[in-house]
Order: sequence, then C-alpha cells, then structure tokens
Amino acid sequence: MLRRDFTKLILASGAAGMAGGLNPFGDGMAYAQSGNGGLTAIIQPEPPILILPLNQQIPVGVVGGKIYESLLSYDFDLTPKPQLAESWEVSEDGLTYTFKLVEGVKWHDGAPFTAADVVFSCDVMLKEVHPRARANFERCESITADGDYTVIFKLKEPFAPFLLAFETSSAPIAPKHLYEGADYRNAPANDTPVGTGPFRLAEWVAGSHIRLEANPDYYQEGKPHLTEIYYRVIPDGAARAVAMETGEAQLSQFSDIETFDVSRLAELPHLELTTKGYEFFSPVLWYEPNLRREPFNDVRFRKAMMHLLDRQIIVDRIMFGLAEPATGPIASTTKFYDADVANYDTSVEKATALLDEMGLTPDASGNRITIHHLVVPFGEMWTRLAEYFRQAMSAGGIEVVLDSTDPGGFAETVSNWDYDTTCNMLYQFGDPALGVARSYISSNIRKGVMFTNTEGYENAEVDRLFSEAAVQTTEEARQELYSAVQKILVDELPVLWMTEQKFATLHDTRIKDLIVSATGVNANFAEAHYAS
Amino acid sequence: MIIISRLLAKLTGIVLAILVIATINFTLVHSAPGDPASVIAGQSGATDEKFLADLRAEYGLDQPFLVQLGTYIGKIARLDLGYSYRQRRPVTDLILERLGPTLMLTLSAFFLSLIGGVTCGALAGLRHGKWSDLAISLVALLLYATPVFWLGLMLVLVFSVQLEWLPAFGYSDMRSDSFGPLAYAWDVAKHLFLPAVTLGAIYMAVYTRLMRSSLIEVAAEDHVKTARAKGLGEAAILRGHMLRNAALPVVAFAGLQVGAMVGGAVVVETVFSWPGLGRLTFDAVTARDYPVLLGLFLVMSVMVIAVNLLTDLMQRLIDPRMAVN
Amino acid sequence: MNETLRTFLSRPAGIVGLTILGLVCVVALLAPVISPGSPWDMAGMPFARPGEGGMWLGSDTLGRDVAAGVIHGARVSLLIGVSSTLAALAIGVTMGAIAGFSGGIVDLIIVRVTEVFQTIPNFVLAILLVAILTPSLTTIILAIALVSWPPLARLTRAQVMSVSRREFVHAARCQGQSAVSVLVRHVLPNAISPIIVTGSLTVAAAILIEAALSFMGLGDPNHMSWGYMVGAGRTVIRQAWWMSVFPGLAILITVVAINLVGEALNDALNPRIARS
Repeated sequence: MLRRDFTKLILASGAAGMAGGLNPFGDGMAYAQSGNGGLTAIIQPEPPILILPLNQQIPVGVVGGKIYESLLSYDFDLTPKPQLAESWEVSEDGLTYTFKLVEGVKWHDGAPFTAADVVFSCDVMLKEVHPRARANFERCESITADGDYTVIFKLKEPFAPFLLAFETSSAPIAPKHLYEGADYRNAPANDTPVGTGPFRLAEWVAGSHIRLEANPDYYQEGKPHLTEIYYRVIPDGAARAVAMETGEAQLSQFSDIETFDVSRLAELPHLELTTKGYEFFSPVLWYEPNLRREPFNDVRFRKAMMHLLDRQIIVDRIMFGLAEPATGPIASTTKFYDADVANYDTSVEKATALLDEMGLTPDASGNRITIHHLVVPFGEMWTRLAEYFRQAMSAGGIEVVLDSTDPGGFAETVSNWDYDTTCNMLYQFGDPALGVARSYISSNIRKGVMFTNTEGYENAEVDRLFSEAAVQTTEEARQELYSAVQKILVDELPVLWMTEQKFATLHDTRIKDLIVSATGVNANFAEAHYAS
Repeated sequence: MIIISRLLAKLTGIVLAILVIATINFTLVHSAPGDPASVIAGQSGATDEKFLADLRAEYGLDQPFLVQLGTYIGKIARLDLGYSYRQRRPVTDLILERLGPTLMLTLSAFFLSLIGGVTCGALAGLRHGKWSDLAISLVALLLYATPVFWLGLMLVLVFSVQLEWLPAFGYSDMRSDSFGPLAYAWDVAKHLFLPAVTLGAIYMAVYTRLMRSSLIEVAAEDHVKTARAKGLGEAAILRGHMLRNAALPVVAFAGLQVGAMVGGAVVVETVFSWPGLGRLTFDAVTARDYPVLLGLFLVMSVMVIAVNLLTDLMQRLIDPRMAVN
Repeated sequence: MNETLRTFLSRPAGIVGLTILGLVCVVALLAPVISPGSPWDMAGMPFARPGEGGMWLGSDTLGRDVAAGVIHGARVSLLIGVSSTLAALAIGVTMGAIAGFSGGIVDLIIVRVTEVFQTIPNFVLAILLVAILTPSLTTIILAIALVSWPPLARLTRAQVMSVSRREFVHAARCQGQSAVSVLVRHVLPNAISPIIVTGSLTVAAAILIEAALSFMGLGDPNHMSWGYMVGAGRTVIRQAWWMSVFPGLAILITVVAINLVGEALNDALNPRIARS
C-alpha cells in the first residue's frame, strides 16, 4: 500500500513537468555533452582547497582525486589494481613491500615523476600533514627509493591491510620539487594543485564552479576521454535535484541528492543510479551513548535502547532505502564481516523489562528517566535521526531532550566527552584495522580528538583481538579474530549500530565506465567516456 | 560649507560606529563555544592532536584574547580583514567576490520595491476608496505578512517547477562561459528575477502602504488645495505638488530599511543559492569561520551606513529645503 | 476607554483580525486537546497527501501529521512572538524613557548605542546570537528581543520628550515629586499608546524572525514550530507541497491578523492619525 502510493506520487510529480507541453530535458540534453565530451558534476560543499595531501574532506577527495593519484586503485572487492605503481611484491614475512612505478609519468608542470616523489610524500610530507597517512606510514621502519622507479616500504611488524594505504586520498603523492623544505600549509605551491592525474585545474571561480581540463600529457595512452569536468557548487539541496533533473548537471555523488529525491530522479530516463563505488568507505551509522555516564554505563540500559529502536524504520523513512540495517560494527560490504551475532528485535516489552530490572520505574506521566541527545549539525538526515531517536525512546518511557549545536560545537562537545547520547557515522576504509578498531580500542580514547573511541569503551579482550588481527597475515586467522570481536561487541553494545549507509551516485546514462573502483567518484575518471 | 562640516561630522560618526561594531562583534564571536581548529579537523574524517595543535598555532588561536582583539582592530585600520582559516584565503578577497552579487540583489530589490511601492501606493492613494485601492491594499497587507523564505519557495514552485519560465537557483547558467556579453547579462537577469522579487516584495508592500497614506495626507494639505483653486490641471498638481511631497517620507523610510534588507538577503540567498554575502554569512556561521564573520559584519554595517548617507543625500535632492535646515 | 473600544470595534479589519487571532490563540491553548499526543509522533505513512490516511493536511517525510504540527506550532510562534516582544519592550521602553527624560549626555549615549544597534543588519545579528548561544526557546527569545528593541526605544524617547514638555508634567515636577515618580506616574501613561501599537506590530515581526530562524535550522529542536516545518518541507517541495504550504499559510494568517489588530488599535488609540 505504502509502496504503491509512493510510486504514484513519484509518477505524478514527474508527469507534472511533462504536462505543460515542455520537455524539461530538451534543453539540458542539447548541451549536456558540451559538444566536446565534457562532464558537468555537482560539488557540495565547495572544497576549501584542492591540495589533497593537505585536506581530505569529501569534496576535496572528489575533485582532488582527478588531479592527484596514489600508487594503487582498488576493485569493488578491494583487490588492489595498478595506478602509479604498475606492479608490486610483498615479501613472505609480510614486512617488505616493493612497488615498481610507471615510467614516463609527468607532473602537471612538466617535471618528471620519480620514486623520490613517493619517498618524499610518504616518508616526509604526509607524515607531517595527513593524520591517516601518518598512522599508516609510522608503521614503516624505512621508505626508500631504489633507482628512479622502485620504492621499498619496510614495516616494523606485519600489518595486514597495508596495501590499502595507497588509495588516492589516503596517500596522495605530492610533487617533491614544489614542496621540499617548504612550510607545507603556506607553500606558494598551494595556489595551483600539481598532480599526475588525468585532469588538471583550469579555473576555479569561488562560490560558482571548478573547471578541470584533460591533461594532454597523461601517461595512459588515449586517456582521459572526457575533455573537461565542471564541478558546479550548488549549496541548496532542492536546487541540486533540479540541476540533475534538467540535465544541467550530469553527475551527483555522496549525499548531494537528498535521500527522498534519489528514487524519483533514478526513474528519469536520462539518469542512472548506482550505489557501487563506495566500498572503500562503507560507512556504518550508530547512536553513540557516553559510557562514562549513568545510565549508559549499564549494558542493560543500552540493550533497552536497542530494543526500542527499529532499524527498518530508519532505512525506510529516513534513508528511503539507501541503507541496510547494520548487525554490528563491521559493514557487510567489507572483509571479515560476520552475521552470526546477537540480534536485538524491536520490542517495547523487552526494553521495559530491562528498565524495570534496573529500577528505573515510570512516574505518573510514564516517564522513567530523562536523557539528552546532541543533534548532529550536518543536515536534515541527522535532524530526522535525532527526532526518531526521541520518539523511539519515548515509547519506553525514556524522555529525550534534543540539544542542537553547530559543527564546531559538535566536534568539541563530542571529542571532550561532554554529551549523553549522539549519532555518528564512520568510514571503514576497506579494513577493520583501518576504520573499525579505532572506535573501540582503549588506546584510542583520546580527549579532544574527533573520530576516536569517543564513547569511552574499554575491554582488554577487545583490545587484544583487534591488535592481533591487525598483524596476522592470513585471512583465515584474521577472520577468526574479527568474528570473536564482533560477538563481544554486539553483546556489550558500546554503541548502537543502526544502518550501513549507501550513497547514491546519479549520472547521465550516456556516460560509461564512470564508476570503476571501490572509491567510485573519488577515483580519477580516466576511463569515463560517452557512449558512441 | 555647512554640508561639508555635516559630512565630516557624519564621517567621524561612521568611524566611531565601525570601531564599536568591530569590538562588539569580536567579543561576541569569541565567546562562542567550539574551537575553530576542531571544526576544520572534524570535517576531514580523521584527526589527531598534532593536527589540531598545528592548526591552532597557524591561526594564532593560542594567543590571549586581548592580543587577538588588538591585532584585529589594528588590521582593520589597514583595511586588512584577516585570513579565513577554513577557505584559506584573505577575508577581503572572499567578501569582495561575493559583494557584487549581493549588491546587485539588494539594489535590484531596493529599487524594485521602491518604484513598485511608490507606483502602487500612488495608484491606490489616488483611487482612494475604489476597488483598485482595496485590491492593492489587500495584496500589500498579505505580502507584508508573508515569510520571505516561504514566498521564495512558492515562487519557485510556480515559476520554476510548474511553468518552467525561470531558473530556480544560481547566479548564471553553466554554459554562460560561451555566451556573448548581451546573452550573459540576459542570463544573469533571468536568475536575478525571482530572488529580487522575493526580497523586494515585502518592502514593496511596506512602501505601497506608506505611499498611499502619505499621498492621501498630502492631498488634504493646504497648498494642494490652493493649487487646485488657482486652476492648475490635476496632472500638474500631481507632478508639482503631491508626488514629490508624498514620496519624501517613503524614501526616507526606505533608506532605513536597507539594514533589514541585507538580513533578508541571507534567507533569500539561501533559498536561491545566490552566491552573495548572505550565503557567505550563513556558511561562516555554521562553519565557525570567525575571520569571515567578523569581516562580513563590518562590511555589511558599512554598507548600511553608506546607504543611509545616500538616502540622506537623495532626500536633500528631492527636498532642497532640508539642506538649509 | 469606551470610545477607544468603540473606534476599534467600528473597524471591520480589526474585528476580522481579532477573530482570527482569537482562533489562533484558542488553537494554541487547546492544542493538546484538539490534537492529543506529540506532533513528533510518526502517526501514519510518509508522504500522505492531504486527506489521506485520516490526516487532513497530509503527512511529512517521517509520516508525522502536518495538521498536528500546525496546531502545536501555534504555541511556539505565539509564545516566542509575545515573550520576545515583552523583553524588547522592557529593554526599549527603559532605554527610551531614560534617554528622553534625562536628556544630556545620558541621552546622547543611549541614542548612539541605539543607532549602532540599528545599523547592524538585525536578522544577521539574530542568526549570530542564536548560533553562538545554541538554539533553544530562551536564546531565540533573547536574540529576537535584542534585535527588536531599538525602534521601541526611539519611539519611547520621542514620546517621552514630547510629553515631558507638557504643562502637567511641569506641574508635577514643581510639586516636588521625584523624577522617577513623575516618569512612571505622569509621563509614561501619556506616552504609551503609540508604544502599544508598535509593540503589537513587533509581535508580528518577532513571529516572522522566529520562523526565518527555524527555517534556517536555528530553531529549538524540542518544539514543533511553523518555520521548522517549512524548512523541513523545502527540500521535498516537489513531492509534498503540503508540507511547506500549510505551515507557511499559518504564519501568513497569524501575522496578517496581528497586523490588522495593530492597525485598528492604532486608529483607536491615536485618534488624530485615524481621522486624516
């Protein structure tokens, strides 16, 4: 019933545009190809900078990913593929990684790209300016060049997901000749990004658009196929949907299009929807209690909250199908996921039983306890999540007061542990050792730092399992350890996992081979082309 | 001479006001919760202490409050509005590139509302009590009570979504690079239309009502009656006596509304994705971009003072008697 | 007073305004009775059209009843409109009365401060204040009051100055009454009617500011408000026009009603202006 009406609604709103006798797409189609094979894409918010080594926010990753490259790219199942490295070897003991670089690569300013650039980037510059790269490369005992085209990484101890460290925004290679010895954040080179990628910066009109043009000296023969990419800044959600609808823009990614608009736009004949290309990120979303505080330090309370929440409602009404219920800390799209964990069904009875057991009895108005929830200030979806949380909790007699804040206040409040409950979503970066462990290991309880173990969970067994799993070199051994850790975590509920988020990429159906890797829209688009 | 000394007095007043506003804003913004460094860090996906410390050092956020304030005022004196740590560009640049669109929007809305308001008000006033007066007054009454963001949305619903006559958002078409100057101007004008109408509508309603009552009042004055008695034609009376006198308080009032209009531009620019100062303000507030906020407040206040001065001059043009007083 | 009432009642616009406003107030007061339960409850299916599923104004993206939201939203709009106006009156009348009555350097300082506050684009200042103080009913009321008092202060000052020149004030002063008592007993009562009129219009303006703040995401997340509803409906305007149309209409109607009442009040309280 619901679904049918919803479809009817979508059809009706689509038909309204056609009824006027105007073809809403006629205009867009005529220019979409720009006569020269260009692509117009949405970018939101506008990146503050395009120097990917210095900043890895989503929009910087999307635009910078066309300009900069790293050694590897990854298939949808996260198998490494060549990029700046044409081949690589891992020693038996898992300690030495040897990369053979592509020869004849040039930086956008014409200087040759060599092993020295890789060593400089990974061993010097990124360690200074890129937190995630620093964590990865500090595992190295040495990073050395052997000639101009070979780089050798020697690890202090084995680290299973090390090959995943060479994704473009995880380790963007920067030109040594422009940055060596400079004050990186204030270097004159920051005015113009110089990378090795298939596109280079042509023009950036702040507040309006960023235009990239094909790099004529790109090292892969005949690529890129697209002549230019326009990234248009459109701050307004409804306006972004209109841009896609009219063909004024031909590509949207991540959360550009509001969830409820995605299915409507996907029905349009000139647009194609894919949720592939985010495997490297695979975000998991959860409600996060502050375990330092009463009553959240009591696992019974956390279980009661879990029983009050209906993950399917979040999937259907807030994410509009662009998510799946999460069963635990590891996303089902990444390796080492294990579905065999405790299940918390939605049941007010079970929840109230637990609350009764804790001695939290209802007062005259049915209220057992009042807690606060810090609303995540990043847009409507988060507001809806907070509103749903409040309603869901009220069914069990838990009154929730919503506190709103701004991005600065949010980061500060959460990272300084000054909240009752909030909501959070973290990328998994392709491997539990890179993107999952950080939220649960006690060594990562770091006051003042966001995206750490902010809830304050401490369990020695969990610490041990995560640290052992990171250094095991066989997949079987790792799977065993991660299965064990998933069981413990789901039993203890350090956070309340709700959904595995999917992102929607909408693009013009005539553009082919656009999403070809696990980093989808963040990849370099060298292969994208118009259907002939 | 009198005018020059008056101007001088006004100018010192402006400098004083700017100093006061600067101090107020700076104190206000710095009492905000949330540390700017953690804002940037919070959005980059992963962070650590060193990263935050670097950012704080880089932007002088580790200096004592008074030192930051002193530096800030000193810089203003040199017309240096600081550096945006978030956008990594000088604030002056950021504001200058957004100034054009906002001026265009506010001025279009201002003149649209003033001309529209004076015309409609005059029409209503002259047909005092007739049905056209009633219709105009009713529309003005409704417009005056309409939330500006809602009006914008309704206009988008009708003119962009349903009729597809005008673009729903933005400053110019993506293709505008290839346009000739005329086509480009036309394109921008099309994009400007809905935001300007939205922003201007409420003020137009205000000026309509003001002009109407002002005209009715003037019509009852002695010199109009005298002119009529002298046998002057109605058109001549209207031109020579009534319109100018009636429009005077409207213009004076309109000048004072510019401050509110700049505020309204924040909402309108958000609804229509208009790349101006208003949009920049909202982004700066949500991102805690202190230097940009401080700069914006100064610039907006200066804009308002400047327009107030202009109105003052305009009034003198319309009514030379005031220059003497 | 009788004549005032008669003048007021002789204005049809005032009657219409008063009736609508009365209705809105009744709805606000009886909201829990008319629409029991929380307006945040996901009562039905999402995106129900008006009339569908028993929800006569439709439902929003989460399946919340728009009608319930409009009914409960009346409380927040009126509460904020009235409280912030009272706060603005408290600041404005105090400042204006002190300035107008004492004159001299005090007057100069207050006038200057008022001017500076009038120079700052007031909605932008309101955004800044709410953002800094974090959105809640109190901070929103405070912010709206802080941007609404300058016109009230100016008006009060002008009124007080003109009333102070009248003979009965001189007489009271000559009788040796203290300045404060002269101000409170003789000056203010005679200066108050235009202030009441402007105050009633300030309520309308305050409701609009609150709506705009909520629309921009700076409302109190614990209270359903009209501006919030329009803001939440903005992005889905193509799928669910009813989500933004009805709360917007509610704002429009309420503000029109207050303005009509304000004007009728003006006619009744300031008969000289009314006659012209």
